[in-house]
Amino acid sequence: MMVARREVLGLWGGLVAVLSLSRRDVRAEEVVEIRMHGRSDGSHVWFDPIGVLIKPGQMVRWTNFNPGNSHTTTAYHPANFGRPLRIPESAKSWDSDYLLPDESFSVTFTEQGVYDYYCVPHEQAGMVGRIIVGELEAHGGWMEALAASSGLPDEALKAFPTVEEIMAKRIVRRV
Amino acid sequence: MKKLFLVPVLTLTSSLCAMAADEVAKSPPAAPYQQVSKLVKLPDFLPGMGQLFVDPATLPAGPFLAYDHDGKLVSTIYMLPTKDLNPDKSFDNLSAPGGNVDHVDVYYNAGHPGVEEPHVHVVLWHVAAADEASVAK
Repeated sequence: MMVARREVLGLWGGLVAVLSLSRRDVRAEEVVEIRMHGRSDGSHVWFDPIGVLIKPGQMVRWTNFNPGNSHTTTAYHPANFGRPLRIPESAKSWDSDYLLPDESFSVTFTEQGVYDYYCVPHEQAGMVGRIIVGELEAHGGWMEALAASSGLPDEALKAFPTVEEIMAKRIVRRV
Repeated sequence: MKKLFLVPVLTLTSSLCAMAADEVAKSPPAAPYQQVSKLVKLPDFLPGMGQLFVDPATLPAGPFLAYDHDGKLVSTIYMLPTKDLNPDKSFDNLSAPGGNVDHVDVYYNAGHPGVEEPHVHVVLWHVAAADEASVAK
């Protein structure tokens, strides 16, 4: 099961986002904030953090902090423009649609596994992210599933943090 | 004789260019130009560029006409997908209705609604570099 909602954040929401990202020990009831960023000339765009480890039942909130661009958070799932499945089979897909500056979108994750997502207008520029929910089994089959999926731009494939890096650091940033 | 014939032709061409520039000098430009923020979900005023208008039939290249907060035309922008910059593709006869060009900027853009792929912005500035500040925020 997955719950998604869309909202507009004010300044205080942004400050909370910054504070929560700086905490290494993420509790299940805390909202994990992911910022959508971009350079002022649009030459580079990214999710920050790009990789997070969360617990089942935890909410992730994406917010567009880029004043000159729109972004989406869109799961790799056949329901979204026929894209390859790169989230657990039993999990529900999500697509925020375009978020203008200061708008946000939230999803609560309950199924364990690896979730890959992207930004619709910026996938070819490598704007992707990865969320790991729970503890992964040693041979959970996720690697085989990811390896089998194709049709992603090289820039997107190169940008994903590895599962090992996310498991080790809990929060992976590429700024 | 040829020179005498060229004089009125050049004068007419120059007059037509001036007329075209007058038609787009202030926001909003006449149809077929449309406000980009009403065509796709983008902020109406883009920091660094301004308020954009485009004829949808010319996408993705444009021209996009960019205006400052006072509705003055500051630049004409062409958006050229990087995948189309190859031996088999060219962009010919792109219209340039904005009049005199002060200087030109060329830079990479990762994409945005409307041109959802990496592309190059070719910006013909109709104002001095110092006046680009009018669309900075």
